[in-house]
Amino acid sequence: MTGPEMNLDDDPLEQVFAAARRAAPVPSEALLARILADAEDAMPARSASRDPARRAPARGGFLRWLGAPAGWGAVGGLATATVAGLWFGYAGLGDADALARLVGVDAVAGATDLLPGGDTVPFLAGWEG
Amino acid sequence: MPMPLDLDDPRSDDVLLALYGQGDGSAARILTLRLTPVALRVGQRMLGDAAEAEDLAQEAMLRLWRAAPGWQPGGAKVSTWLYRVVMNLATDRLRRRRTVPLDEGPEPEDARPGAVAGLIEAERAAALEAALMALPDRQREAVVLRHLEGLANPEIAEIMGVGVEAVESLVARGKRGLAQRLAGRREELGYDGT
Repeated sequence: MTGPEMNLDDDPLEQVFAAARRAAPVPSEALLARILADAEDAMPARSASRDPARRAPARGGFLRWLGAPAGWGAVGGLATATVAGLWFGYAGLGDADALARLVGVDAVAGATDLLPGGDTVPFLAGWEG
Repeated sequence: MPMPLDLDDPRSDDVLLALYGQGDGSAARILTLRLTPVALRVGQRMLGDAAEAEDLAQEAMLRLWRAAPGWQPGGAKVSTWLYRVVMNLATDRLRRRRTVPLDEGPEPEDARPGAVAGLIEAERAAALEAALMALPDRQREAVVLRHLEGLANPEIAEIMGVGVEAVESLVARGKRGLAQRLAGRREELGYDGT
């Protein structure tokens, strides 16, 4: 294969480089999900209240994280749900298809199979408890 | 597959990393979609192993998340920082598995039997990957960053922690090495270099 198309560039290796660039690997959905799970775990603002939606509301970690008053134990469930709603809007991740859009599958249920331990789903979908 | 809207987000990596540091999960998602391919492909080209490249990409991105709280906006580009982390992680892994001296590589695979003219593009890429793996690590780094990632020499110098002249030298030597290793397959690769 030594036609004129092989001499388009001054660099004789460019044809091979170009082929390699086009053959670059693409991250798998599973890898992207693992990396997002790591992002959730490492998120600085959450370090003091890991996975708050799964904790008793009286602990108030989630509320403290958002700067809300602590000691809302009596209305903790409602408060948590409300603030979770705020998070939906703030993060722009509130719809149920967020994860599906991320990993390119049709349903969240399918995508969750990719997530070890299932901890990433609340992160992506806005901490729906 | 990644969302085009995420990839087209006009905010810089710097801004997104700061937002992530403030608890913005959507910023993490955009950074993941934007930067994971970089870490993965450079890892693959440095290590020549897809599974190991995935591990490396995940580790590099984890370091990014952990660096977020102390990130200094306006300093080094996030992508430059990530390239450096990927290269350092790759070097560590290569050292652990090293079986040949740094400045010697395995014999080139240019004598593979059954090669025919009209090699398809995938084979070109595979041939280059094999030839790259036969280069000394630093030459491979420089060639990957220059010719596969398309970075300018000053940024490569920053990533590799050397001067621009050293980068030029590493690239030139690396390309000579590649040309030698691919010479036996010149015709089938459509490579007519002299």
